[in-house]
Amino acid sequence: MRAFQYTRARSLSEAVTAAAAGATPLAGGTTLVELLRAEIARPAHVVDLRWVGELREWDTAGEPARIGALTSMAALAADPLMAARFPAVVESLQLAASGQLRAMATIGGNLLQASRCPAFRDGRSPCNRRAPGSGCAARTGPAHDHAVRGTSTACVAPYPGDLAVALVAADAEIETRSPAGTRRIPAAALHRAPGATPEREHVLGRGELIAAVLVPGGPTARNAAFVKVRDRGSFAFALGSAAVGLEVSAGLVIAARVVLGSVATIPWRSHEAESVLVGERLTAGTARAAADAALAGTCGPRAEAARGAVTKACLTAASRAGVS
Amino acid sequence: MSIGSPQVRADAVAKVTGVARYAADHRPPGMLHARLVTSTIARGLITSIDASDASGLPGVRAVITHHDLAGELNPVQALVDGGHFHTAACPLAGPVIRHAGQIVALVVAETGEVAERAAHAVDVRYATGPAVLDLADTDPADDVEVARWEVGDRMPGGAVAVDEVYTTPAQHHHAIELYAVLAQWRGASLEVDVPTQWVQGEQRGLAAALGVPESAVRVRAPYVGGGFGGKAVVLWHTVLVAWAARRLAAPVRLFVTRQQCATVASFRPQSTHRVRLTATSGGRLLGYEHDVRAQTSRTDTVGLAGTAMTARLYATSRIRCRETVAPVDAPTPGFMRAPAEFGHAFALESAVDELAARLQVDPVALRLRNEPARDPVTRLPFGGRHLSQCLRLGAELFGWADRDPRPRSMSDAGELIGWGCAASLYPANGGGIVECRMTLDEDGRAVVEVAATDLGTGAATVLAQIAADAAGLDPGAVVVTLGDSVLPAGLMAAGSCTTGSAGSAVYRAGLLLRAALERGESAPVTVTARWVPRGMTPALHAAHRRGSRVQLGPVRDGRVLFAYGAQFAEVRVDPVTGMVRVPRVVGVFDAGRIVNPRTARAQLVGGITWGIGHAIMERTPIDRSRAAFSGTDLGACHVATHADVGQVRVEMLDIADPAVNPLGVKGVGEIGLVGTVAAVTNAVYHATGVRVRRLPVEPAVLVSAR
Ligand SMILES: Cc1cc2nc3c(=O)[nH]c(=O)nc-3n(C[C@H](O)[C@H](O)[C@H](O)COP(=O)(O)OP(=O)(O)OC[C@H]3O[C@@H](n4cnc5c(N)ncnc54)[C@H](O)[C@@H]3O)c2cc1C
Repeated sequence: MRAFQYTRARSLSEAVTAAAAGATPLAGGTTLVELLRAEIARPAHVVDLRWVGELREWDTAGEPARIGALTSMAALAADPLMAARFPAVVESLQLAASGQLRAMATIGGNLLQASRCPAFRDGRSPCNRRAPGSGCAARTGPAHDHAVRGTSTACVAPYPGDLAVALVAADAEIETRSPAGTRRIPAAALHRAPGATPEREHVLGRGELIAAVLVPGGPTARNAAFVKVRDRGSFAFALGSAAVGLEVSAGLVIAARVVLGSVATIPWRSHEAESVLVGERLTAGTARAAADAALAGTCGPRAEAARGAVTKACLTAASRAGVS
Repeated sequence: MSIGSPQVRADAVAKVTGVARYAADHRPPGMLHARLVTSTIARGLITSIDASDASGLPGVRAVITHHDLAGELNPVQALVDGGHFHTAACPLAGPVIRHAGQIVALVVAETGEVAERAAHAVDVRYATGPAVLDLADTDPADDVEVARWEVGDRMPGGAVAVDEVYTTPAQHHHAIELYAVLAQWRGASLEVDVPTQWVQGEQRGLAAALGVPESAVRVRAPYVGGGFGGKAVVLWHTVLVAWAARRLAAPVRLFVTRQQCATVASFRPQSTHRVRLTATSGGRLLGYEHDVRAQTSRTDTVGLAGTAMTARLYATSRIRCRETVAPVDAPTPGFMRAPAEFGHAFALESAVDELAARLQVDPVALRLRNEPARDPVTRLPFGGRHLSQCLRLGAELFGWADRDPRPRSMSDAGELIGWGCAASLYPANGGGIVECRMTLDEDGRAVVEVAATDLGTGAATVLAQIAADAAGLDPGAVVVTLGDSVLPAGLMAAGSCTTGSAGSAVYRAGLLLRAALERGESAPVTVTARWVPRGMTPALHAAHRRGSRVQLGPVRDGRVLFAYGAQFAEVRVDPVTGMVRVPRVVGVFDAGRIVNPRTARAQLVGGITWGIGHAIMERTPIDRSRAAFSGTDLGACHVATHADVGQVRVEMLDIADPAVNPLGVKGVGEIGLVGTVAAVTNAVYHATGVRVRRLPVEPAVLVSAR
């Protein structure tokens, strides 16, 4: 690890000032400390957010629910109001990482977690995300590591997180704070597909911090499910995941959200799958058709996993919407 | 009687309270910290190493590369050639790179943090050559044959045949305790704390490489946090650290990172198995043919030939086996729990299940029908063999009779349910010559000393029970000291035979002590015993004197000696996602006399847990284009978690086999794994109708094959 300056911010404005001066924010540290030790992240300055009380406030009863960026994954996953209003969000948290990690890790940090691509993580293989211009070792590596949507010649790394997938399906917004003030960004617009600049992973500007996540209530948020496909029963990233939200009236789907995880370079909303569902009865057949539409033209272990995840998430969401 | 009682491990409290000190826990005054730098290419030459940035960091004491080591170390032999080393090739002997992740430098600094930083700052440049790692990218014409034999001269014309290919992936041990070393010199004498399965092999290997007398080297490993074969042999970083400690005249401690553990030691090689079974339409096996290919390194020919085991599972009149290895640009592969049994048994026991399905015979009945009266390979009698009893009892405990044999016929709550079974065997190895010293002191404490190792299995506790019974003492009065090369001669902890071999020496020492006390000798009394297993040939005696490893195999003294087992598994498969869960396993084992049912059960449950992992998740991915393991941390290499292991029921027949050793003990360390893998994949077939012949089972395969 390289030496860096460490600042403990006492207020959000102090944190923003430090970040605007180039400091890297530290929340639970479960991603960042690993990257520091591997010298994948080499900041000259780190600002610790953990003493910023404003970032710890949360209110899941309000409309929209407002969740401070420093809320721990474990605390949010255990909140009964969240479970009632946003079951897919809670599932995405419960199925992520391990108990110990969820106790340390925060909501804001989770959204901005780094790639799990082995070429990125080993700290030395060619990787445009870590070392722009060095190439992409993953492209010719195991198919297991390849995203099938949103890739570019520069990068094929899947976005690994679970929470962001469920938040996009819930039409959540991200509230940020920067020297320029406060703004809201749709969760769906937070992450950037790699294009030619995979090192730019999200749209936040210099000095812009995630302050909170806002989740509006509603039928598609409530009748929602998150399904994660992986080879082991716990403590594993998804091979493919999906969050699906449905609004059903008179037995017909009238609104749908279908978002794929771990199969695209960013949380991937599939309007194709949504339009297959809208106006139809949700059956095993339409669920499968939606999955096929979401993954049309793709193949490989991640695509297959995501196909299963979409199908199952459709069926679970339907049962939550009262479809029998 | 202490033997047979479920004693808690003697070191349990020390371990859970952190009092037990593992190699990396030591911190002598003046200790320096080392880290490794490993190669980024798989094959080629180092063209330059720029260590100026690293050396310039405050606190860095040395950056050791092949420039420093040239001519400093003596040539040594790999274990496979009668020596003690993982590989004969010292990674710092020259600029040659033989595999990705090879050690290219050792950085030594005053703190661990500085050493870690400095390791990142070493700039190594290479000239890269073409490299191959995956078995699929090799040409069988270049293979090296490691076994070829046959029984019977003509394949009988069987009515039914199965002829399929099964493949297993590369895997790593990933013991919870990483590789680590602490080396310190006292004058011309070297002391090394290192997690090892073989303290005296380590001692001899270090002495040979460093050019010092064996008596000047002491190796300690009182606690080992799992070995699984990875810690069986001398690893080069151990020598490098000892060399650095001498050069810098200070104790040096090395931590190897989790990722580096995958390339500085051995691994379980990829393998492919073509199995051909022929049988009568009534389900009597006639022929067994098994062709195996596996990876080896370009420096060492490691053949983990397992057909000599699997050929003994069933009665067949015609056997033809051939095993070859393909040299690739890999670290030298080696032992990993059930090294010669896991892949071979997976292949055979899958093929037997396929045969049962084709014949429409129950797989348990098919196995029972082919129980051999004599060893089909040598025609010699077996020692104790209670496989049929394991199968029958297992079937009963599992509720096998309720199984509908048709695939996809059982389901519950939207999930497909499958039941599968497989048989297991593991050689009841004889080990070699073991010595033991036992001293009764004035306080009535009996100290048992032998240079064996407790890898966390409870070996020390089990040996105390044997000593207590033999000497007629209270087990609480016995203290067992293992894991130190100055102790009387012990063996590598491998081949599931520590209890049988070290236990036999301890047993004899206990009897001698009892006799001494009965003669009226009073404390302090010291006795020494020497256990020479039956079947030691002059050649093995010579090997023992040379200090080479001696391991008597299962065919000795006119008998064929194995442990047996039968595993039954239930799987639940989500038909939409293809995710496989294993809620239930029953394993019944004929592992000879059970000295301690608690520790034995833990070993068998551990083996079954490995089997579940091997079946549904464990593999080290390979990047074929770069000839490198890709993703060697625990985020990418999954092993089973609690959530993956449902209810595991283990029964032990507990029938002593006097043909094996005086205690009648056969060994429990590895057999739990052997049949579990095929039991799970056979259950997956029963649940889904999809036959998985490539491990591990992937969810996508189960849904896309529909
Ligand atoms: C072994 C392991 C398994 C895991 N498995 C899963 C899994 O299955 N599913 C899953 O979703 N995740 C998984 N994770 C990832 C884990 O959830 C994240 O590491 C965690 O959520 C990050 O949160 P943190 O608070 O620790 O963030 P940090 O490590 O502190 O920060 C992460 C990143 O976010 C930035 N950051 C943090 N907070 C803010 C803020 N408020 N504003 C702006 N930037 C900020 C940091 O600068 C840093 O770049 C796993 C992690 C590990 C180590």
